[in-house]
Order: sequence, then C-alpha cells, then structure tokens
Amino acid sequence: MQRKIVEFTNILRKAGVRVSVAETIDSFLALDEMSLDDRELFKDALRTTMVKHWDDIPAYDRLFDLFWSGFHDVLRDELGQAVAGMGGDFDLDQLMQQLQELLANMDGDVDLSELARAMLSVDANSLEQLIQQAGEESGLDGIRNMLQIGFFSRRMLEQMGLEGAGENLRDMMEQLREAGMGEDDLARLGDLMKAIQEALRRSVRQYAERELDKQNHDYMERFRRESLQEKSFYNLTEDDLRKMREVVDRLAQKLKNIVSIRRKRQRKGKFDLKGTMRRNMAHGGVPFELIFRQRRKDRPKLVVLCDISSSVSNVSRFFLQFIHSLQECFTKIRTFVFVAELGEVTEIFRNNDIYTAIDQALDGGDVINPYTRSNFGMAFNVFWRDHLASLDNRTTVVIIGDARNNYNDPRAWCLRDMQSKAKNVIWINPEAPGAWGFGDSVMDRYVTYTDVAEECRNLKQLSRMVDTLIL
Amino acid sequence: MFDTVEDVQKRLNEQQYICGKNIATVVFLAKALGKPVLVEGPAGVGKTELGKVVAKALNLPMIRLQCYEGLDESKALYEWEYSKQLLYTQMLRDKISEILEGANTLKEASERIASQDDIFFSERFIVPRPLLKAITSEDQVLLLIDEVDKSDPEFEAFLLEVLSDYTVSVPEIGTLEAKHIPLVFLTSNNAREMSDALKRRCLHLYIDYPDEAAEIEILNTKVPGIDSRLVEDIVHLVQRVRELDLKKTPSISETLDWARALMVMNADSLETELVNDTLNIILKHQGDIQKAQSELNRLLEQKAAERAADTPQPVEPDPGKKSVLH
Repeated sequence: MQRKIVEFTNILRKAGVRVSVAETIDSFLALDEMSLDDRELFKDALRTTMVKHWDDIPAYDRLFDLFWSGFHDVLRDELGQAVAGMGGDFDLDQLMQQLQELLANMDGDVDLSELARAMLSVDANSLEQLIQQAGEESGLDGIRNMLQIGFFSRRMLEQMGLEGAGENLRDMMEQLREAGMGEDDLARLGDLMKAIQEALRRSVRQYAERELDKQNHDYMERFRRESLQEKSFYNLTEDDLRKMREVVDRLAQKLKNIVSIRRKRQRKGKFDLKGTMRRNMAHGGVPFELIFRQRRKDRPKLVVLCDISSSVSNVSRFFLQFIHSLQECFTKIRTFVFVAELGEVTEIFRNNDIYTAIDQALDGGDVINPYTRSNFGMAFNVFWRDHLASLDNRTTVVIIGDARNNYNDPRAWCLRDMQSKAKNVIWINPEAPGAWGFGDSVMDRYVTYTDVAEECRNLKQLSRMVDTLIL
Repeated sequence: MFDTVEDVQKRLNEQQYICGKNIATVVFLAKALGKPVLVEGPAGVGKTELGKVVAKALNLPMIRLQCYEGLDESKALYEWEYSKQLLYTQMLRDKISEILEGANTLKEASERIASQDDIFFSERFIVPRPLLKAITSEDQVLLLIDEVDKSDPEFEAFLLEVLSDYTVSVPEIGTLEAKHIPLVFLTSNNAREMSDALKRRCLHLYIDYPDEAAEIEILNTKVPGIDSRLVEDIVHLVQRVRELDLKKTPSISETLDWARALMVMNADSLETELVNDTLNIILKHQGDIQKAQSELNRLLEQKAAERAADTPQPVEPDPGKKSVLH
C-alpha cells in the first residue's frame, strides 16, 4: 500500500501538485487511523493530507480516479466480454468445475506457468497483478508519448510470457485429452483461452494508455502557463489572453505581499525620546508610555496614459490589470486613454469590475474615438492643457505607448513640462530600444524628458518594471 | 475523542452543523493525528462555525485569535506588562534601597540588582495572548485562528514555529511547552495565498457552497418550523443567484437570514414583489441586486408556470399520429 501511495504522489508531482515527503508520511499516518473500506473516505484522507491548494483539487480528483480505479474494471470487462463471446449455451461454471476436477486428479503432473493458471481460472485479480508487475518490469513509467504505447504493450506482453503461456496451455490440453476430457469441451476451452489472450492484449494496451495519461497529465498546460510569462505581447492568441489574466493576478498578488512586507518594515519607527518625555510629564517623568516616531506612509499617486491603438493595446491591458489589482498600494490612480484624442476613464474603473473596465477602456470608453491614427503630440497637448495642474511632486506618470506618431508633430515640450511637475515620468514601450527613433517612431525625442524609459514586451518584464519603478 | 468518521458526522449534526463526509474525515483526522487544519473557502460557508461546533462537540474550551493586518507577536502570543513592571519598581523603591544598602561600589550595587532582576521578568508580568493561553492551558483547548490570510506574511512565519512543535520560547523565561497539544483550526478566505510551509504542516479542507439538497437540510435544521416548500424555493433561488456573475455571492448565513426574515413576514411562498423587497438581505451591492432581479423574476415566473402545470394537464397527443406526421 505504502509503495502504491508513494507512486501516486510521484504522479501528483508530475501533474504540478506539490506534495512534500512530510505530507506523504502524514497520509500514511492518516490511513493508519481509519479503515480503508470506504473509497470516499480514503480519497478524502489522501486529499486533506496531500493537496493543499484548492486549485489543485480538480486535478487531484481526475488523477485519483485514473490511478486508484478503473483498470480493474477494464480488465474485468474485457474478460467478461471474452466469456460472453463464447455464445449463449456456454456455461463457464460447469467448464470450470470439470476442469478443477481433472486438474485435481492430475496433481503434480501439470506444470503450469502463473499466467496460464490465472487464464485457466479466468481470475481477474491475479491477471491484474501480473499486468502490473509486467508494467513495472518493463519500465512503463518512462512512457512519454502516444507513439510508445505499442512498444510498451508489446514489451509487457513479452514480460508476462503470453506466448509461452499459449504453448503451456496447448500441452495442458493434450494432457486433459488423455485424462478423458470430451472433444467438445476441449474445443470450447481452446476458444475461451484464445479469447482471453485477445482480451489480455487489449487490456495491456489500455493499461499502457492509462499510464501515459497519468504521466503526462497537465504537462502541456503547465508548460504553457510558465512560458506565457515570457511570451511576447505581440503574439498572444485569444486563448492566451484569457489565461494571462490568471497569471497577471498571481503575479500581482505576489507583488502585493512583497510590498506589504517592505512597507511594514519602513513603518516601524524609531524610539522617540522627546515625545516620550513630553507624554510622560504627567507621570512625574516616569516613562509609562513609550512613543515611537511613525514614518509617514508614502503611497504614490499614479497617472497612467495608455495608448490603446491596436499595436500596444495588449501591453496597456496587462498594465492596467496589474495596477488596478494593486490598487491598495496607491493613494490614487487616474487612468487616461488616447489614440489621437485623450480622455479620462478613471470613472469606468470605479464603476465596473476590473475586466469589464479594461475592455471598455481599451475600446475608447465613450470618451475618445479609438479608430483614428496615433498622434502622441496631440494627446500630450490635451493633457498639458487640461490636466497639467493635477500633477504634483508625489505623482508618478506612466506612459504606455510605442511612440509611433504617424509623422505628426511630437510636441515633446508638453512632456517636458509634465516631467518638471511630476515626481517621475516612466515610459513603457513594447518596442526594443534599437527601434526607437526609426521610421515614424519619435521615441528618441521623448526619451530626453522621461526619468525611465524601458522596453517591455512580456509579462515578466512588466512585473519587474512595476516592482522596481513604481512601487 | 471521536471513534469513526460517522461518529464525527453524527456529533456535528447534533450541534446543528450539517456536513458531508469530506468535512467529517478531515475533522476526524485532525483529532486523531493532532494536526492543525487549514480551512479555506468562500466567505460565509461556515468555516469559523466549524471550529466552534467541533469545540462544542468535543466539549473543549475554545480560544479564538482573530487575525488582521498588523497583528504581531505581542498581540497574539504574549506581552510584558510594562506598566505593571514600572509600578512595581516604583512601589518597591524602598525595598531596592534596602538591597542596595551598604554597597560600596557601583559594580557591587549593580550586581545586587542583577541578582534580583528575575522577578521582573517572571510569569507574573506576562500578559498571555491567545496563542500562549492555548499552549499553557491546563486542559486541551481548541484554538481557532480566524482569517489567517488577513495577517502579514511575517506573522505567518512565526505561527509556523508555534504550530510545528507547540512550544513558545520567551527569551527571559525559557521555552514553554504545551501540556496538551491544542486542536487548531485556521480559517482563510483566500485573500492571500498561504505559504507552502504553513500548508505543509496542516491538513487542508476546502469548503464550498453546499449543493441544493445539503442547503435545504441546513435550512430545515437551523430554521425550525419553516414551511418545507418555502425552503425548497428559497434554496433553489439562492443556488441560481450564485451562478450569476456577482460581486459578492450570497453565503449560507445570508440564506438563513433570508429564510428567517421571510418566516417573520409570514410568507408561505415566494412572490415576485416579496422577493424584490427582501433581496437586499442576500445581496449587498446595488449592482448585484439589479443584475439578479431580472434573472429572479424570470425564474419566479417560470416556477409559477410549473406550479400551474402541476394541475391536471391536457392529454398528450397520440405518439402514433406524431410519427405519421414526420
């Protein structure tokens, strides 16, 4: 049993469920405490000791069913079909009984292999055991892809000695004939054995297929999830976008934890001697109450300018999701979107849940027309005219865009004025620095007036930027 | 002590807590193995209640530690009673001068004081907080650490130490070991992912919203005397509402509130108007209410139609004729 459980934990690990050695031991202890008759209880006991994340529960359920059941039923089913295939008037019990009697009389003379014996008695349990054994001996747990199924099932059959068993059975039938078994019965027995051999072949193949399922569970899925972090924003499919949400959420959560620790450490102030003395005058100078100097919390204000033209909308999307998942880290976030016109969409974020808000914002949010050609100069000019006054020395301005200005006037002086009023101006550009200033890109003009300008083409870079620059 | 999983289930039922086998299994194992349980799940499915009920079923005193952001050791474990210490020094001033009498050098004086300073850091001046209380208690207790996800990551690390060996070290006194290993329940709303280290030390239990049958049973147990058809209607509606994309899905406790409210209002079936008036009991956001209202009205109409259909129906056309038509 214990070995079986260890095997199961290995399979769970392969599927991305983290199970430690300590947890495996816990599961042994847990199983000692209870009877194993009830399958549901057994499942719950293993789950509670091994699976600690609710996300993993569906995977666990699937694997549990694959691992702890199923094959036995498959085998039984196959054997049942083999017997049923013998025709309506075939009476297995009678044949078995006759066989048993004859075998008992012949005791000692017959030399049957284990497999042949199991086949003769149509014993699903020992057959299952033999198949499992063969699986282990032929290294079935190394199976990696569909193409190997045939190879491994052949190898397992060899390991089990199915060919040898056939010969063994033929010898045995000869002996039975000599012992006086009727030709009819012998023929039937022969047919039955053939059918069982076929059934075994099919079962072994299924066994190999199931093993592949177990070993490969979720492999591709995990691979995708990991690589999503490094996939370029330009090549995301619809499907990726949906999955990305989750990844962004997780990264944001992680970041939030880090920031909370960082803040906490900063918050803890030093002992304030002056304050303590002053406060304790009433107690005759005996320091009953201690005063600590509290540091002022410095949460940044954020103004985000997002280019929502199709070339950068993905970057904007994830940046917005990031920022709004981290809302409690900022005192205030104002969000503007632009293509050529510029409009504020802060309200949309206040009134909707985050995904709807992002979708609306990226669609112009009823404040601007998204179907125009990018004009950074004009957008900055509008911001300069209407909102420059709202910038102060605690505000960080984040601009997301590729600075492809369609040969319009860049009006970099607007950005210069913004920089001089704000604490920081950060530019996130999905293009590599090598391309800045080429073609209609005016990034080279703007770069002078930013504190930081960085390339950001995948999630990993994005989360690093948010972490180091903004928080 | 519980004998079997069924026993757990039975005794929790006696405390009016309806639970499935999965919950009972975990509780049973927690008691048998002496391991803490981390209970996760959406708000209002009875995570905290589970801890309370287990305490009642086992007849253990319960100590509760409510976590929040900024909770630290001095609030959770112990604190030196600074003012009391100070007060004592003030009051014992004479005594101190007595001790110091005849000391010729500063060194000698400070040595004499040092030989006495143990009294100021003894258990007399310690204010035990929930964790220390649970560990030093004379009898076994149930320790409920509520909403552990609200605490800071550092607190979690510190909790880890307490939960793995059930000892607390107070530098001035030494290590205090648990006389009885407390039964620990931690609840979490998943506001934050708990660390793997903490999870590893705990049994894990995920409680989800109950299915329709279980919720009906809960309602019948918790709100005695309620009309069974009303219960079915309520639960049916609530289950549908949970499927909508809402800011806050209604929890079991809200279903219970609603049922109680409807009972007080002497309702025996759900009328559209009544539902609209009382919807704010299960839904707490204006947006959610608007979203749910149209959906619910549709459901109620459907239901009314079904009820009407229950009365004698027109005879179905002969199936033989149908096939001719095809």
